[in-house]
Amino acid sequence: MKLSKWLTALLAAAGIASAPVAQAQEEVVIGGSIPMTGVFAFAGIGINAGMQDYFKIVNDAGGIKGRKIKYVFEDTAYKPDVSVAAFKKLTGGNKINLYYGDSTAFSRTINPELDRLGTIMMAGASFATEINDPKKFPAQFMAGPDYSEQIGILLRHIAKEKPKAKVAIVYSDSEFGRDPVNEFREMSKKLGLTVAAEIQTAPGSVDVSTEVIKLRRADPDYTIFHGYVLAPIPEFVTQMKKAGSKSHFMGTFWTMDSSTVMKMGEAGDGFMGVMPYRYYYDTSAKAPMLDKIRQMRPEYQSTAYLQGFLTAMLFTESAKRTLEAGKPLDAKNLKAALNSIKNFDTGGLIGVPITIKGNSVPVGRIYRADMKAQKMVPASDWIAVE
Amino acid sequence: MRIGSAKETYAQDGALFDSRTQWALLGVLGLALLVFPFVASQYWLYLACLVAINVASATGLNILTGYTGQVSLGQAAFMGVGAYAVAILEKQLGTPVLLNLLGAGGAAMLVGLVVGIPSLRVKGLYLAIATIAASFILHFVFANWTRVTGGTAGLNVPPAKIFGLALDTEFRLYWLVVPITVLMLAGAANLFRTRIGRAFVAIRDRDISAEVLGIPLLRYKLLSFGLSSFYAGVAGGLWAYFFRSVTPESFPLLMSIFFLAAIIVGGMGSILGGILGAVFMTLIPEVLKLVVGWLPNANEAMVLLAPVRTIVFGVLIVGFLIFEPHGLAEIWRRIRRFFHLWPFRS
Amino acid sequence: MMDFDWLMLFEISLAGLGSGGLYALAGLAFVLIYKATKVVNLAIGEMLMMGAYFFFAAASTMGWPIWLGIVAAVIGSGILGAVIERLLIRPMLGEAPISVFMITVGLSSILVGLVELIWGADQLRLPDFMPSDPVLLGEAMVSPKIFYGFLAAAVLIAGVLLVFRFWRGGVALRATACDQAAAYSMGIDVPRVFSMTWMVAAMVAAIAGIIVGSISSLSPTMGVFGLSVLVVVIVGGLDSVPGALIGGLLVGLVESWTGTYLGGEFKLLATFSLLVLILMVRPYGLFGTHEIERL
Repeated sequence: MKLSKWLTALLAAAGIASAPVAQAQEEVVIGGSIPMTGVFAFAGIGINAGMQDYFKIVNDAGGIKGRKIKYVFEDTAYKPDVSVAAFKKLTGGNKINLYYGDSTAFSRTINPELDRLGTIMMAGASFATEINDPKKFPAQFMAGPDYSEQIGILLRHIAKEKPKAKVAIVYSDSEFGRDPVNEFREMSKKLGLTVAAEIQTAPGSVDVSTEVIKLRRADPDYTIFHGYVLAPIPEFVTQMKKAGSKSHFMGTFWTMDSSTVMKMGEAGDGFMGVMPYRYYYDTSAKAPMLDKIRQMRPEYQSTAYLQGFLTAMLFTESAKRTLEAGKPLDAKNLKAALNSIKNFDTGGLIGVPITIKGNSVPVGRIYRADMKAQKMVPASDWIAVE
Repeated sequence: MRIGSAKETYAQDGALFDSRTQWALLGVLGLALLVFPFVASQYWLYLACLVAINVASATGLNILTGYTGQVSLGQAAFMGVGAYAVAILEKQLGTPVLLNLLGAGGAAMLVGLVVGIPSLRVKGLYLAIATIAASFILHFVFANWTRVTGGTAGLNVPPAKIFGLALDTEFRLYWLVVPITVLMLAGAANLFRTRIGRAFVAIRDRDISAEVLGIPLLRYKLLSFGLSSFYAGVAGGLWAYFFRSVTPESFPLLMSIFFLAAIIVGGMGSILGGILGAVFMTLIPEVLKLVVGWLPNANEAMVLLAPVRTIVFGVLIVGFLIFEPHGLAEIWRRIRRFFHLWPFRS
Repeated sequence: MMDFDWLMLFEISLAGLGSGGLYALAGLAFVLIYKATKVVNLAIGEMLMMGAYFFFAAASTMGWPIWLGIVAAVIGSGILGAVIERLLIRPMLGEAPISVFMITVGLSSILVGLVELIWGADQLRLPDFMPSDPVLLGEAMVSPKIFYGFLAAAVLIAGVLLVFRFWRGGVALRATACDQAAAYSMGIDVPRVFSMTWMVAAMVAAIAGIIVGSISSLSPTMGVFGLSVLVVVIVGGLDSVPGALIGGLLVGLVESWTGTYLGGEFKLLATFSLLVLILMVRPYGLFGTHEIERL
């Protein structure tokens, strides 16, 4: 019958069209949902470049146990549903073992799928406290301290510099902003610091005068900003300084890129914050990887670049250890290999050897902005939290 | 060439499809929908499910805005109510999937009725602005009623289970999402053959005259709000089973604008318009990605994709409103008319 | 009640009034458009954004002096306003108001996309050009940007009110707003009035945008300010200039008070609850004209 022949031909053609792309001999495929455009584009472009550079270094040296790394990615404009679509597209067409996710929302949404697939270990741009839970997110990790750990590092530094100080937190009314507030409260109590104020700002709000008035009344010794990239921090700092406040101002990871802080202008002088990595221009200690990066990229690379670079390094190390143990590359083995990383030398990207017990790398250093030199300078030792 | 179709009974006159050819084509479409999941890749299945959910929600909005003339920018918020309802029901009660979806629809319907109350006092743009306000108030509830909605972190939804089989792949979800959407479409199409549907249209055309004719305005306007938010609630519930994670940021005002744009582009006031509009608006970003991928300097061009997508979205809305206010459905009707009269000139 | 911090109440009320002045300025631009062309312009926030970005392009990228940058931004916005009117609004004359409303929604998407395409999605800082010492009113300190923004808003609103009263163009505008057919028969060039209105409104929005941009920062998402402005004009009355002023001050105060005494997350809730209240009690706003629908 004509109809059945027609139908068979159609099915056959469709079947061929949807078959996965034949893979080159023995590759390690790493996928990424990267926010190359949209609000997080400055980070996405940096992360992408960092990962690509590291994979190039590894491939030039012969790959992981002879297997070359193939890196495939899609732009997500920092939208979770686009991110999920990119994941489906990439995993449908390639045999992927390691993946980079662009946001907390994506990491949370894709987690059940990761558990079901069992073949992929994921890291990402999210430092959300929730994800730092090996029981709930067994296939995921982050290449740095989570937001609560970052606040912990800041508070520990404050307690050392000025015991019994008054601290305030200014955060944005979003999931990103609210993340470490609980830890802030508890850790302050534990370290004997007084919480002077907890101030929330509406996202997208233009005028922060009323919040500044509240903050001024609270008269903190240290003010921590979290949940922002740049605005409204400069406005806060300027108004507080002009009103005569003696408070020090601090920020968390995504505010601490050198170019971002420099944009604060005069107000940003003395702005401090926690950073888990050395800055691109840091020459204070021996750092062979930083030298290599400076060789490959003569112009300034952001902290996002370093985050991508380090994540790629941890991906590669986990894959290497798994293959060395003769085990197949799946989520359980890769994670076990990651957790076997003890006193690992990151080539100077992080100032101390790192150990990854859970899902995060809980290490960081306080840096301070020096507006005259247009650089971020270290203001403390490397602090590790448990 | 179709010369004319004579109707001999009222039942024939009110039928949805009036020729053997139309039924045959519908049959082919049905067959294609049945065969599709077996030949499509995971990515296309994902898109199909997303399109179906958007079609369901757009149809709901079409009932309210296209047929009853009440402009609403709250569709995404009603979907959010449905999604949260499903998430909470699954987590706390573990009730069967279909019951959860009905519950989601019901919860959204209740909220929709409340939001519809101002529609008697205000109309047109003022009503649209009231629905924007409702959107924001609902968003506030989602983000701050932490005990129930999980606050800004939201809720995770365990996969839907039908007779013990977990619907956790796109292939399986297709068989839940698409039949429900088809059912809702059939319901909406049939709605406008009934008295209620005709009353809706009367209200859109001239609501003061409709009241003079004896149509109780408040009751029918509220009914319209309720029905449309029921559709949104079910679509939101399906959305929750599909994405498996519900947060306050999942249903922004931009999504409501997306649905309004979908029915404008598709054609307000016709079921086919809702379908075409939703399909078109959901697939446009994918088509753009493909086109950019073919350009010679694809990598640099990719970076510009997101802003270009935003511009295209705006241009589509503006373009259709200025040049083709009756949307894609009208273009389709013109093509059909052409083929009806072929080979004679129209 | 004795230990209630009256000074703080005074300070935050001043801050609220100050930001209310900004709302009133943006509301003025909105009301101008509605008064003359009966268009609810949801893209007002994006027009504000364009003014700020033009200023950035002139003063930062090209390095022109501040005053020249402001002038360039205002003129550039005016031209943009006229172009928008000619291309997008004129073809929709006589169509249903909801269609024109959706055109402005489409317009806002186009403007956001253009900004992201040309300047990228990152946050940008405007050069500081306002004195940064806080202004002292008795014991209360007011942020300088808010203070000068309020002054600019007050001056502009007063200017517009005078123009409407005494200048021929202003009278022509009021006539067109009242009754198009009668205005035509009096010899008023109605299409020209339309273009002029959009031009002037865009210029006012540009000034508001520059002030808003220097307080926070520039980004393609700046336009969300427009939603608060919507509340302001509904409260004040869609076609009332004094209404925009009172509405703006009221919304600014409400936001300040809720932000301080309830918490930052309640700000938008309070604003939109006020909106719902006004819609239920006085749908046409405090000073708007009541429209009577006839069959």
